[in-house]
Amino acid sequence: MKRKMKKAAAIILMGAMFCNEASAFCGFYVAKADGTLKNKTSQVILVRDGNKTVITMSNDYKGNARDFALVVPVPVVLKKSDIKVVDAGIFQRLNDYSKPRLVEYYDQNPCSGPMLDEVVTTGIAGKVAGVRIRGNSSAKADNKVKVEARYTVGEYDIVILSTEESGALKKWLDANGYKIPKGANEVLEPYIKSNLKFFVVKVNLEEQDRLGVEQLRPIQISFESPKFMLPIRLGMANADGDQDMIVYAFSRNGRIESLNYRTVSVPTSKNIPLFIKENFGNFYANLFQHQWEREGKGIVFLEYAWDVSPSNYVKCDPCVSNPPNENDLREAGVWWISKNKYNDYVDEYDPNRSSVYFTRLHVRYNRNAFPQDLVFQATPNKENFQSRYIVTHPATGSLDCPEGKKYLSSLKERRQQEMDMLGYLTGKGYDNWDLAMENPGEDLLPAEFSYPALAVSHTPDQNNTRTGIIFGSLTLAGFLLLGIKRKR
Amino acid sequence: MVHLSFSKDPRFFQIFFQVFFLTYGILFLEWEADWQHYGVTILSCLVFNYLALAIRKRKWPSLTGKTGFSCWGLSVLISALSLCLLLKTNYWPISLLAAALTVISKYTLRINGKHLFNPSAFGIISTVLLTKQAWISPGQWGTGTVLFFAIISLGFIVVTRVQKLDVSLGFLICFAGLLYFRQVIYLDWPLDFYLHSISTGSLLLFSFFMISDPRTSPDHPLARIIWAVMVAGLSFYLSAFAWKNNTPVWVLVAAAPLVPVMDRIFKAKKFIWAPEDPKTILQ
Repeated sequence: MKRKMKKAAAIILMGAMFCNEASAFCGFYVAKADGTLKNKTSQVILVRDGNKTVITMSNDYKGNARDFALVVPVPVVLKKSDIKVVDAGIFQRLNDYSKPRLVEYYDQNPCSGPMLDEVVTTGIAGKVAGVRIRGNSSAKADNKVKVEARYTVGEYDIVILSTEESGALKKWLDANGYKIPKGANEVLEPYIKSNLKFFVVKVNLEEQDRLGVEQLRPIQISFESPKFMLPIRLGMANADGDQDMIVYAFSRNGRIESLNYRTVSVPTSKNIPLFIKENFGNFYANLFQHQWEREGKGIVFLEYAWDVSPSNYVKCDPCVSNPPNENDLREAGVWWISKNKYNDYVDEYDPNRSSVYFTRLHVRYNRNAFPQDLVFQATPNKENFQSRYIVTHPATGSLDCPEGKKYLSSLKERRQQEMDMLGYLTGKGYDNWDLAMENPGEDLLPAEFSYPALAVSHTPDQNNTRTGIIFGSLTLAGFLLLGIKRKR
Repeated sequence: MVHLSFSKDPRFFQIFFQVFFLTYGILFLEWEADWQHYGVTILSCLVFNYLALAIRKRKWPSLTGKTGFSCWGLSVLISALSLCLLLKTNYWPISLLAAALTVISKYTLRINGKHLFNPSAFGIISTVLLTKQAWISPGQWGTGTVLFFAIISLGFIVVTRVQKLDVSLGFLICFAGLLYFRQVIYLDWPLDFYLHSISTGSLLLFSFFMISDPRTSPDHPLARIIWAVMVAGLSFYLSAFAWKNNTPVWVLVAAAPLVPVMDRIFKAKKFIWAPEDPKTILQ
């Protein structure tokens, strides 16, 4: 059934994608075969030092370029030189570098020599999806909306609007083919009253043809303002659709954290069962969803934090892919990485020029859990962090010696702990996972040490909400005691 | 002989609540518990305080009895716990510095026998300014409603023990009122936007555990209200219009020199934590 094809255009903010009919599911699912990963994740690069902010918004829009539209509230009217298009590869490189990783260890056969570990790493498989927005380009301006500036940058036509009336803005956007999602209505008025400007982007088809760009490129804007925030509210299409955003943040001195939501590190360095190796993307998707719910949803997850200064030689440990180099940093908008006067290299010993700290934040947001836009602060916290999970391969070969027996019983214990940990991290029981796996050495182990056998014989630990109850009642008891003593 | 029974000194309650909050943060809010920071802070605060007292009295203070730990140790323990709760740093020498600055402010920055600054607020702000390697995380408490009510009720109890609820409420009502006017009435944000702003643990802890400190707020009740309203107004202005973070703590320190001025204008009896005759607290 065709609805009136009235310039059905959705408005989005910060590359946030909506959950629409086509992309069916907004959540994660445990699937036995290939897991369905989150289907709408937007990515943003955020660079901040002093009062200057550079924001780069990914653009994975796949539809007809004619229908593309993007609206971003910005604190100031941007100059043309403040707007750039950059190469899309930067997002993939940053994602590959900082995504959650799986580390493999190998047990050495205790009957044939000392224990030795070997490390291999793989990152999470999911490619992050991006923006879906549609627009249309027939325009008639409302006179209450002021067009502050109009530029063509790369393949985009950009208009910066200011207004004093949300009604007029809505009318303008409507007349120009943008449809505001229902949930966004309530934020237009506050944005306008907070004196924000609206940065509106469409594709200039002629320019696109002339430049020969097939895939739309990310847009990078920079401005000076004390406000250090990402306006996510405009992109919230409805009350219960969860949307994901990954923020790659760069600062000079240390981690970026949220000011108005709790920033929580994802659980890391946990030993998990070997069968997760084939399922890592799915495992992490479930871990994220479960931990997000456990923490009360209104939080920001930290997934990675590392000193990526050119002078720091250990930019990851272990590395999943190449760490960002100086060109990547410049591309991402880290403006203070500038070349030395005398040659082409960054002066590594000038801390003002070469100090860069990288933070990866992952936010899953919806209207209920996130009533406010994300506000950030740059801290001097330089403690490195990575989300890293460990699987361990059992020893291979004959385990007939006494040490071998000991090893087997410790293996059994370890595997039980790994399975408890899996339950704790993902909130899913064993029956949700494909426990059988093809792994050299696994078939040589006695059957009782296999995960499927252990899953039958071992009852998982219950999540310890009990700690909470005990803590709560102890506190109450403390109060009562103090109160009674005082009254005497 | 025990001179100060456990229940008569309100500082015991305060310490109890601070330990409660720290435990809550570590167990339930997933703080990265920095034991080194906690250990160094508490230990060095106590040691510095002991040394400072020894210098002032020109003899080693006793550890037990009437003039012992319960006389000189409780206040500094409260300051140390405040540092643990609010200040963050990666390096223990900075914890040490913060402790030293806190104790120094306690013993040297005095006017008429009263602290000029809230010692821990001074310690935090000066450490952040001097080292650039320490920070405050106002987002660390989240906005859980359970915590919201817990802090309110706990805070109430604490402050009623020392009769300084007026400062807390003066500050909170004024700050929340201004915020309501700005966010809901002027900017048209939905109500949950506003509730999110005021239900942060940081704001409530500040109201009930920092600005309410009887040793650093004016003595006269009217002066206290004026003082609280002033801190609230300025904090609101700076956060809403200048986009500054953690404004209440900064304003509290910056405006502290006004307290002796207000004490001069409004004459009243000075507050003492635990006098020999406990009844004087209630006067």
